[in-house]
Amino acid sequence: MTTKPSSPPAVTTFADHDLIVPPNPLKRAVVRDNPGEAAPDPVACAEQALFEISGDFSRWTESECQRLDAARRAVAGGFTDKTRDELFRAAHDIKGEAATFGFPLIEPVAASLCRLIEHSPDLARVPHTVIDQHVDGIIAIVHCNARGNSERKAQVPARRLRLVTEEFLQHENRHRPGYLDEEDAPKLVR
Amino acid sequence: MVRIDFNCLRFLVIDDNAHTRRILRTLLHGFGTREVYEAEDGAAGLEVFTHYSPDIVITDWAMPIFDGLELTQMIRQLGANSNPYVPIIMLTGHSEKKRVIAARDTGITEFMAKPISAKALYQRILNIVMNPRPFIKTKTYFGPDRRRNVSPNYAGPERRKGGNADVIKQPPLLDKAEALARAP
Repeated sequence: MTTKPSSPPAVTTFADHDLIVPPNPLKRAVVRDNPGEAAPDPVACAEQALFEISGDFSRWTESECQRLDAARRAVAGGFTDKTRDELFRAAHDIKGEAATFGFPLIEPVAASLCRLIEHSPDLARVPHTVIDQHVDGIIAIVHCNARGNSERKAQVPARRLRLVTEEFLQHENRHRPGYLDEEDAPKLVR
Repeated sequence: MVRIDFNCLRFLVIDDNAHTRRILRTLLHGFGTREVYEAEDGAAGLEVFTHYSPDIVITDWAMPIFDGLELTQMIRQLGANSNPYVPIIMLTGHSEKKRVIAARDTGITEFMAKPISAKALYQRILNIVMNPRPFIKTKTYFGPDRRRNVSPNYAGPERRKGGNADVIKQPPLLDKAEALARAP
């Protein structure tokens, strides 16, 4: 089985574009159950499969924290393209994985660190203290095993770090009016 | 009841993060898929794509060597590989408006923001299989039709020219399948 189209696509040419309808080889995957024979819910099956590996999530989060810590140490001597990318990717991966791994409280801290790196026009001006506070905050929340959304102790520093980051970015981007507004456009997808 | 037989579908997952790949593989196996290929960067992903011709590609945005956008551009080059029409799902933590638009304009089929959920992934795959969109080729774009909805009030410069070209009606496969299911 391959997706290689078995017949040429149907092409209709218009004034400034072609409309192409390729064969749909995926239609072979559409099946109809026999009456009274409903297949198991695929989403429920996938969620169950995810639950079965969830025992590893704390360990995975710990390894992501170690990676972030190493990246933070690498930028202590100054940013290069490589060290900047590694720090950003480490923070960005944590931001994306936090909720899945059961640590939603570290998501806003990681997101704040990503914003700080991505939108600072001159990374040499970013105080290392602020970077350290973000990284230490993430590690502390994970070490406290603050799962769920109810840990108020973790929410307060997370909010404070976000405010510090925003204040810094507003100041640093004062010569680029509208830049941050554009970046803060509403999210389009969930 | 009409459904997808995931056992018939082969996926390629491209992400530099091993944990994300494991999560995606687990979800896809949970749906019922048996064949899931993996690659950890855009270059390796293109190689696996060329070799195995997967049915659906799921790619990260930010990756070493070349990223998910560059990979999409390479896959969508007509004549450069066996299937430039392959559905591509971009899975990323970048969900800002300009990023989504950039991904769409590169030719991705579906966009999915992290955190990953079984339901969101299933919905993207369902849409790809049941409601395939036609492709559009212009001087500057080749990829799935970016207009999912018809906007009769739009009168801007980007309206397509020629006959009924503005409105492309593609009957969803789901409708056809359900009509078949209802047939005596």
